[in-house]
Amino acid sequence: MQTSVEIAGGKVQSPSLLLSNRARLRQRIAAVLGNGFLLAVTSFSMLAVLFIFIFIARDALPFFQHNGLREFFTSTHWYPSAGEPEFGALAMFFGSAIVTFGAILVAVPLGIAAAVCLSDVIPFALRQFVKPIIEMLAAIPSVAYGFFALVVFAPLLQQQGGHLLAVAVWIIGLPSAVLVIIVLSDVAGDRLSDRFQSWARWGIIIILGSGALFGLMVIGKSLSALRIASGTNAFNVSIILGIMALPTIVSVSEDALQSVGRELREGSYALGATRAETIVKIVLPAARSGILAAVILGVMRAIGETMVVWMASGNASQIPQPWYNMLDPVRTLTATIAGDMGEADQVTGSSRYHVLFAMAFCLLVFSFVCNLVSERFIRRSRQKAGG
Amino acid sequence: MKKIIAATTAAMLMGIGAATAGDANKIVVDGSTTVGPIAKAFAEYYMGKHPDVNITVSESGSGNGAKSLINAACDVATMSRPMKNSEKDAAKSAGVLPIEHIVAMDGIAMVVHESNPLQGLTIEQIRDVYTGKITNWKELGGPDRPIVAISRDTNSGTYETFETMVMKNAKIAGKTEYVGSNGAIRQRVLSTEGAIGYVGLAFREGVKALKVNGIEATPETVVAKTYPIARPLYMYTNGRPKQDTPLYDFITLSDSPEGKKIIEDTGFVPVK
Amino acid sequence: MNLKTRKILDRAFAGSGVFSILLMTAALVVILVPMLIRGWGAIYFTATVEHRHLMLERFDRGNPERVADELNSTRETRAPLYRMITEFEKQLETSDSESRKRYTTPLRELKKAIHDLLGPAPGAIRPMLMRDQYGQMRWGRALVKLRNVLYREEWDYSDPTRGGIKALKPRAAEFTGTPVEPLCAYLENNLTDMMLPRRTLYWQFLTDNSYDSHFFGGIWPEILGTFYLAVGAMLFAIPLGLIAAIYLTEYARETRLIGMLRTCISTLAGVPSIVFGLFGLAFFINTLKVSSSKSVLAGSLTLALMILPTLIRASEEAIRAVPHTYKEAALSLGAGRWHTVMSVILPAALPGILTGIVISMGRAAGETAPIIFTAAVSVGKPLALWQVFSQPTPALSWNIYNLATEHEAVDEIRHVQYGMVLVLVSLVLILNLAAIILRARVSKRLKG
Repeated sequence: MQTSVEIAGGKVQSPSLLLSNRARLRQRIAAVLGNGFLLAVTSFSMLAVLFIFIFIARDALPFFQHNGLREFFTSTHWYPSAGEPEFGALAMFFGSAIVTFGAILVAVPLGIAAAVCLSDVIPFALRQFVKPIIEMLAAIPSVAYGFFALVVFAPLLQQQGGHLLAVAVWIIGLPSAVLVIIVLSDVAGDRLSDRFQSWARWGIIIILGSGALFGLMVIGKSLSALRIASGTNAFNVSIILGIMALPTIVSVSEDALQSVGRELREGSYALGATRAETIVKIVLPAARSGILAAVILGVMRAIGETMVVWMASGNASQIPQPWYNMLDPVRTLTATIAGDMGEADQVTGSSRYHVLFAMAFCLLVFSFVCNLVSERFIRRSRQKAGG
Repeated sequence: MKKIIAATTAAMLMGIGAATAGDANKIVVDGSTTVGPIAKAFAEYYMGKHPDVNITVSESGSGNGAKSLINAACDVATMSRPMKNSEKDAAKSAGVLPIEHIVAMDGIAMVVHESNPLQGLTIEQIRDVYTGKITNWKELGGPDRPIVAISRDTNSGTYETFETMVMKNAKIAGKTEYVGSNGAIRQRVLSTEGAIGYVGLAFREGVKALKVNGIEATPETVVAKTYPIARPLYMYTNGRPKQDTPLYDFITLSDSPEGKKIIEDTGFVPVK
Repeated sequence: MNLKTRKILDRAFAGSGVFSILLMTAALVVILVPMLIRGWGAIYFTATVEHRHLMLERFDRGNPERVADELNSTRETRAPLYRMITEFEKQLETSDSESRKRYTTPLRELKKAIHDLLGPAPGAIRPMLMRDQYGQMRWGRALVKLRNVLYREEWDYSDPTRGGIKALKPRAAEFTGTPVEPLCAYLENNLTDMMLPRRTLYWQFLTDNSYDSHFFGGIWPEILGTFYLAVGAMLFAIPLGLIAAIYLTEYARETRLIGMLRTCISTLAGVPSIVFGLFGLAFFINTLKVSSSKSVLAGSLTLALMILPTLIRASEEAIRAVPHTYKEAALSLGAGRWHTVMSVILPAALPGILTGIVISMGRAAGETAPIIFTAAVSVGKPLALWQVFSQPTPALSWNIYNLATEHEAVDEIRHVQYGMVLVLVSLVLILNLAAIILRARVSKRLKG
């Protein structure tokens, strides 16, 4: 505010275009001061990041000094309150990893398909309606998602989980099986002479088709019979986290797709490629780094989420048997911090308190690295688009 | 930059906070979720009589209650276990003198889904369930159903009581699910057929409380000291509260007939 | 591959895109609709006479004479119930010890079930807890409780290899041949007259204090707390965010330092929310001691840090979207840089900046993890403005978690939980909707 008054004042006082030396000096000083002030305020976020790192690291360090690294990273024994406490966080690392993996499995295919659809398939007018939907998904507070996961989804999984899974398998499996069969029959048909072609094609379609149907039925049936003992598990959380990560992935990868120029697309169309071929072979590779950045941002969103996993992951500090069993409860780093902070009395400076900061520190470092990588990808995709 | 802002906010606080500092009309209660219902009902009752007093109740775990008291972040720490020596030492060095008040007695009930035909377990069987030695109800004479063992979070006094009285320092298996409160355990057991959990007596509704060593978990057996997993519930204050302050009235509520009735109605056992 | 197959593949490809968008929409609907519908049930429901009784006693609401009339009429219809019980009790006193033994427990259970449904019997001592002082407020819950009176849930455990099977046994059968026998039938037939259910719009749910840890009343302390936290966060974040955005767009040259600054801002955006919570606890409360314990102030500061990057980015984008011609025109008229920013660029970018502010405010209102250790409590009064500096507050987001998992009677107060979710979600969505509309206008204006 100060500067503007000074400058304006200076102007009014001197009707000639040339400023007096004093006025110019004053203006210079004001500009430098103003600039410095703005820079200082802007650096606030840098300070904040620095302070976050310092404060988290300061409380994390005593843990590593006292207990070393080995147990923390390699043991699954988490007994912070026992007589001889054990602080193995491997299960939490694993839990965070597997729910994030699950979320990505849900969100990446859906997100990229939706982004492609938004940027290349549906007309602009329709896009105006779809965008708010994505924004609403992004806006719903995480505790509302958690509430849904705990109160609606978990009981549903316990009662109807098997059927739900079976239906999902059918919905995904049937169309993909049909497509695969059509392509296979086509490819096989091309290799034969014209006389057998249609015979062979129908033969392949019938054989493979019935095989696929049979397979789907068997899988569907065995899934229907599945009883999920506990609805609060990695699967539940993965689905919800996937939905939460979707908006990020969609919007960032849509940006990346948009930034691939029209020329590339038009060139491809001119060569006779269909839209699908153009996108898969030309546009997606060109937008690769942007899409990777989107995936990384999605990972960050999923791994940093607290309320949903705290409420609905079951919080069992174990690595499921076998490890890919998503229907077992798991426990994540974020949920452990939220849940254990209560007892971890910082006053006595116990390891139990510092171990939570150690976890927070790991999360922090991870998100920092992810962020650097994604920034790099985004920059690269911008450069590509620009150049 | 931050320091400057902090300094200005601090200065602002001094000014505005001066009016509220040492506010006798504010009681901050923090700690155990088990004692939560009592504390909340007391707060409700007390604020109903004295509308000018604001009592806030947080249920963040016994350990957190102790921590808050030591940091002078709360006036009353509710705890479902006695304060540990380490905590007392920390309090002493922080210039806080924790005074213990026993508000009520509570048993820890072992609860299962109502469809579970089992009537009772022994302490040893419970321990085997939680160490993961027994994984199916079949092994206990029940239906062929995997056991979903549910435990309180490690920040709860109930957990520590369970750990010392039942587990006897055997380690709880990794596949045990942890939830944040008594209510959450009750809810999980309510909706999960194979579940077993442990809760304070006030949280038994809708679920089936098992007999432990053949003794039912009821206020009567807790009073009679026959129920094997029972413990007192505490409230801690910094020093003895002065008489005729809201804090004093609040803390001594549990000795009055009204307070005892409240404790009974919330499902706990008043101290004789 | 022949052309037909390629076309099919092309269709399938487009189809999968549309499918995933439909799936997303479906997810939104599946998540929102049950919450909105059941949340609405907290405000608009069939209330019994007990609800009106409570409203009159605690909030001085409603027509006293009419409520008194209603209470009298229900008392009359309820009287036969209690008469039957007293008669039976008298009869028991004189009867032999065996029948006394036989009926004591069933009778006690029956009385408890009736108490749960209708509240305390006339003439009984008033219970201490408010939840025991009234009958069921909501007709839906009353029907559940009615079933508990009429039937006893019994589990058949005869086959230990399978789970127990639930069976409902009519309670009337337990009392055959006693004066209580007709009680159940009477209750079932006359419940409407005893409760006088009526559709009620209880909009004061939003503005009432809660009673007896959310058994009764509304969610005003939570709404107010959320409001304080969000607005407080904005108060800290807006100046910082705006100035940073102005600097980054109008002043900064792309030096190393600025590159680092940008990295820091995006790092801040990626920090997990729970880490902010820990930091808020360790820094604002334990180190700076902005308040002696959890307080709205500490929570707001923590939230402000969290939304700062969102705010900076949104404002930056809005400023960048202002056409260059504006700025050049201003500069060419001889306005200084700061002057240009303040009088030309900011006004033009204002709607865009507002969009960012509104969205970040929604985010601040909805976040839970940062306030767990810094601001939130489960029960508290609505705060006066000057109390925000030293006192913690309940907040919608935290109390949804708290009531859904930590409350002692989770099922009894489902409607309150859903109500809170409804309020929080609609608050956030309305803010976002406002942002969307704002942005649509801006893009129209900047284009035209």
